[in-house]
Amino acid sequence: MSLLARNAEQLFWLARYIERAGSLARIIETHSSYGRASADDLSWGWLVTLYSAEERFAKDYAETSFKNVIRFYVADVANPGSVQFSVRAARENARALRAIIPTEMWRQLNGFHNRLAALTAEDFDLVTLSRTCGIIKDGCYAQLGVADSTLYRDEGERFFRLGLMIERADQTSRLLDVKFAQLATGASHGGQTADTTFWSVILRSAAAYQAFRRLEPQGADPSRVAHFLLDNASQPRSVAYCVLEIQRVLHELRAGYQLRKASKALEHIEVLIEGLQSAAKDPDLVVRLHAVNDWLQQCLITLTADLSTAFFALEPAPANARSQSQSQTDGGSQKQSLS
Amino acid sequence: MGTLTALKDPKQAGPFDGYDPKPFFCELLGTAPQPSKALIGIWQRLQTLDVATLARRASDAETELMNLGITFTVYSEKDAIDRILPFDVIPRVMTAAEWRTVETGVIQRVEALNLFLWDVYHERHILNDGTVPAALVLKNVNYRPEMIGLDPPCGTYIHINGTDLVRDGRGTFHVLEDNGRSPSGVSYVVENRHMMQRAFPDLMQGLRIKPVSDYGERLLSKLLEVAPAGISNPTVVLLSPGVYNSAYFEHIFLAREMGVPLVEGRDLMVDEDDRVHMRTVAGLKPVHVVYRRINDDFLDPDAFNPQSTLGVAGLLRAARRGHVTLANAIGTGVADDKAVYAYVPRIIRYYLGEEPILPNVETHICGEAEGLAYTLDNLDKLVVKPVGESGGYGIVVGPKSTRAELDSCRAQLLANPANFISQPMVDLSVCPTLTASGVLPRHVDLRPYSVTGRDTWVLPGGLTRVALKEGSIIVNSSQGGGTKDTWVLEDDVEAVGVGAETQS
Repeated sequence: MSLLARNAEQLFWLARYIERAGSLARIIETHSSYGRASADDLSWGWLVTLYSAEERFAKDYAETSFKNVIRFYVADVANPGSVQFSVRAARENARALRAIIPTEMWRQLNGFHNRLAALTAEDFDLVTLSRTCGIIKDGCYAQLGVADSTLYRDEGERFFRLGLMIERADQTSRLLDVKFAQLATGASHGGQTADTTFWSVILRSAAAYQAFRRLEPQGADPSRVAHFLLDNASQPRSVAYCVLEIQRVLHELRAGYQLRKASKALEHIEVLIEGLQSAAKDPDLVVRLHAVNDWLQQCLITLTADLSTAFFALEPAPANARSQSQSQTDGGSQKQSLS
Repeated sequence: MGTLTALKDPKQAGPFDGYDPKPFFCELLGTAPQPSKALIGIWQRLQTLDVATLARRASDAETELMNLGITFTVYSEKDAIDRILPFDVIPRVMTAAEWRTVETGVIQRVEALNLFLWDVYHERHILNDGTVPAALVLKNVNYRPEMIGLDPPCGTYIHINGTDLVRDGRGTFHVLEDNGRSPSGVSYVVENRHMMQRAFPDLMQGLRIKPVSDYGERLLSKLLEVAPAGISNPTVVLLSPGVYNSAYFEHIFLAREMGVPLVEGRDLMVDEDDRVHMRTVAGLKPVHVVYRRINDDFLDPDAFNPQSTLGVAGLLRAARRGHVTLANAIGTGVADDKAVYAYVPRIIRYYLGEEPILPNVETHICGEAEGLAYTLDNLDKLVVKPVGESGGYGIVVGPKSTRAELDSCRAQLLANPANFISQPMVDLSVCPTLTASGVLPRHVDLRPYSVTGRDTWVLPGGLTRVALKEGSIIVNSSQGGGTKDTWVLEDDVEAVGVGAETQS
């Protein structure tokens, strides 16, 4: 059964938006629950930096207070980086995919979306935020779980997986970048040396806390945390895990499904893996972490562009194609502006 | 009705105790004084449920419809709001004998309309000998000269058809309207059944009801029958205007149930050899049959509305070369036109030499002097319908109109008589329906769906639309209508256990 180019793109973005919403909810929940001085208004500006959204934020909000930042990232449907926007966009993609994805996937996402749409301002205050983030996280985990247990393993599932892994690698890379920048400037802990809380928040933001404790009994230090999230291939949110998955899936598309157009993306992912391997061996990784992350994020943008050119582009583009894929285009341009 | 009293059990109160269909024909009680035993059994089972139980199950069913996204979407500037079609939980039941009439009648009608379409796009015998006025057909906006001389496979123009039926006070079925373009609603037939199976397993237990869930397979097999000759493994697609179309759920349903790609115009292209392809991740793949849910006007910007961004440039050329079959064919609108409708009984006699199994509602063509005079003289007794409209818009129901409304209607008739037909009021049959004030009679119609390739198959039952407002006879969803599950009983023999358990 042939997979429409448009549907491949929609599967790719469905996964990306779900992963994006889930990551955001986890990061916010972790920081509001475990971060010290969570009610301190000044401590939330970094979240705006995390997604390089300073300009957009400043347009609609006066100050980076808790209330404003949370509204911007959770409830604001006009912000393409918000949870609400992502879940809506995921659902719009799923709507167009309903003829090919299992009913279970649509039903879960539809119910999740409707629950989210019914949330009010009361669900985003300091006391209720953790519960709300829990609902979002669970909804996103459930979608990925339903997909894992019901989605037929064909080319379409491979594109879903590519979107998932590219988004996840990007999220982890961003998290590392911003948190280590905070470490360098002392922004988040009043100039004090980073303590256990600081590392625990980063690790929990990547759902990696327990595994890290088990594997690194000596405790956290910058180098161990950076390596754990960057190049430990057994940690499912590490950049290494994601890029190896991407490589595997691209290989399946090219060899198993004879999609020779996957070649270019495969070449790029191999370069990325080599770069990651040398970063893993770098004794001064922490010093060079920002440059590594910059390069990683650039590689992921190139990879998305490769996939788009090879598989998604509906060329020659008819006049109406543009507006229909707006959600994706927005998401893409948001990415572009980050580099 | 005598039977009503007989059915009441003074010892046990039930939700139907206050139900009185008078003076209309009731679908569940059937023809007094001898309703079918199976119907009585269903009636008695329903009586054992109380109104609160019915209401709770109805509310659960509507929540489920929402979660499953069996909805139509209303788009505003900022929001996409999903609405469900109101669903009434009390089924409409047809006996096997009633169904045989409907089924054979629909098959006969579709066959005649396909022969008519072939004729008007080829030799025009029926026009040349004056059986149907040539101007009515050739000057009709829905007549497509582009189709002249094109030979669709199996001679089938109308593959997917919906025939709107109503029942008069004696229970006789009449055809109110033919829908030979893109009739919608069949997804609700199947989904309503699934909903009833989940919500009322107790009501259905032991009953032999004709299944409806094989619609997708039947449809696909008919579409494969009409694929261009010489293609060993034809590819069928469903062409939708996209997610913003209010019937998008149905497009999903049809593609899913047939297991074929759901495409939009931008997914298809016609090459320089007039062959149709779809854009896949592996490049272009040929397409042979297109079940299109886009109107003629928007189907091919090269041939029709050049502004259309929904269609596929070159599709008509591909169809004319015989490289692709469009279902339904272009130009079928001339057969389901409200003015041509009046001639359908004559069309049936002309091509088949048979009497119509399903009679028309008596129709006066206001474009003809005699019809106009009659309509103007009896305006307060007639239903006046504009010929170009659908969805129940613009209909004036004489007996229910004010003086001012009738005057306005008269003015419109005189200004443009050819734009109208008139029909007598039909006493639409009623079904017991759950309302805020308990179970009450509400008017219903019936739209059976058929699919035609080499021959015609009719989906048992069809869509029962119910006018939820008291006294209303307008069943369209845009005008406050809902739907019911429609059961066709396998046979008229009382099923095991039905009735018996409640009689003791």
